[in-house]
Amino acid sequence: MDSIAIRAEGLTQRFRVIHERPDTIRALFSKFFRHKVDFHEFEAVSNVSFTVSKGETLGVIGRNGSGKSTLLKMIAGVYRPSAGHVEVKGTIAPLIELGAGMHHELTGRENILLNGLLMGYSKQEMQKREAKIIDFAEIGEFIDAPVKQYSSGMYMRLAFAVATEIDPEILVVDEILSVGDIGFQNKCFQRLERFRESGKTIVLVSHNVQQILDNCDRAIVMDKGRMLMDGAPEEAVELYKSYATPEQVELVTAAPHS
Amino acid sequence: MNELLRDIYRYRELIWALALKELKIRYKRSFLGFLWALLNPALLMIVLTLVFSNIMVISMPHYAIFLLSVLLPWTFFSQSLSYAAESIVGNGDLIKKVAVAKLVFPVAAVVSNMINLLLSMIPLALIVLAMRAPFYWTWIYLPIPLLALTIFTLGGTFFFAAANVYYRDVAHILQILLQAWFYVTPIIYTIDIFPAKYRWIFKLNPVIYVMNGFRLSVYYGKLPQMQSIIASFVCGFIALAIGYSLFRKHQDEFVYYV
Repeated sequence: MDSIAIRAEGLTQRFRVIHERPDTIRALFSKFFRHKVDFHEFEAVSNVSFTVSKGETLGVIGRNGSGKSTLLKMIAGVYRPSAGHVEVKGTIAPLIELGAGMHHELTGRENILLNGLLMGYSKQEMQKREAKIIDFAEIGEFIDAPVKQYSSGMYMRLAFAVATEIDPEILVVDEILSVGDIGFQNKCFQRLERFRESGKTIVLVSHNVQQILDNCDRAIVMDKGRMLMDGAPEEAVELYKSYATPEQVELVTAAPHS
Repeated sequence: MNELLRDIYRYRELIWALALKELKIRYKRSFLGFLWALLNPALLMIVLTLVFSNIMVISMPHYAIFLLSVLLPWTFFSQSLSYAAESIVGNGDLIKKVAVAKLVFPVAAVVSNMINLLLSMIPLALIVLAMRAPFYWTWIYLPIPLLALTIFTLGGTFFFAAANVYYRDVAHILQILLQAWFYVTPIIYTIDIFPAKYRWIFKLNPVIYVMNGFRLSVYYGKLPQMQSIIASFVCGFIALAIGYSLFRKHQDEFVYYV
């Protein structure tokens, strides 16, 4: 039996950083006639390899701009890697941003269905889970009101409930649990805990080192697109703390980009 | 082409939900809601009848039916293209966060406008009865031009949805193109008003064959000739092949440009 849930090999993502956005035909023509290349390639993630076993919770830490989100988006299938490949075994629910598929004019109930469909579930599956989602989100009678009337807390609860109630085998969470009040955060972490106990795989990106220490079996540290280490959460947090000093940050931002 | 059909079938529930969402938003907060789809052609007919029977004298019986028989399918075509051109860019936030098949957005634009067109056929039928114009059995032929027009429209929507991702000028150019196209297509007139030796120019217009099918069956009570039917499908499949191949080739890159 193969117990690997995610296998990433040499994952690389390059972006074109456009200096003068040639998104109009005029700019295209002028660029064409001047023969000027006005973008440079930027490697957001360089040659990252790791595996996540089934049932494992992997933490990803690193400063802003270190490539964490880009890495997650490649795992979730939003970006196609420029090089390398990623293999994901099982259904995956990406929580890149809460409420990405929500539409403000639609009601909560309609959004549950639309979100589920966007994540690749069928209408039937979503209808089966609708009651549980509404229950977890604590939306009550607001469920048939347009989402634009929701408080931001209700909005987040609904989005989180949809993503986790559909019961994915792999949950990819990007930084979203730092929002919401204490009560909701606790509820979310209880749910993550239940996920772990039921043997599901989680990839958790966070700036909060305590969250990494509390929830992860293993952690990787990202810096400037490269993976610095892959090991125990305690060591990863130690390393992250050691270089994430203000002087370091300054040094990095001052480095020239040609 | 098989792949396209398979994907449309696979994502049918999502496409349907997105199409309904679009309609719902179009008629949101309007008291009459979906009834507008029915009322629009009826009100337009009243205006047309007033203008053409009292102000401009056109020696053509039931000019409103003559016009609407082609204007309604034309509206479906032009609205689908306008919606679809913005469909990828407009859903950029979503595309950047969820791994979703890109083709659902332009297809949903076509489906929502198709619902509108089908609804507007009801008032057209009522207008025919109200004007005491002959109601021809050839109405049952309408699914054939509807199919050909849908194929042609899908091709156009894929093309403009993809092109607009790279150059936002495309959506603006499309509006002008549609305006011009409207006047060179025999919608408000027939090609009989032109000398026979110039009529071949109109045959270069790829939508003329399918529009001919609508007008013949609704207004004249005739069926188009076989060559004309074949031409309408040939034009449709050529447009679909060009549009879809462009879309398919670039769909994985959309996420970097939206």
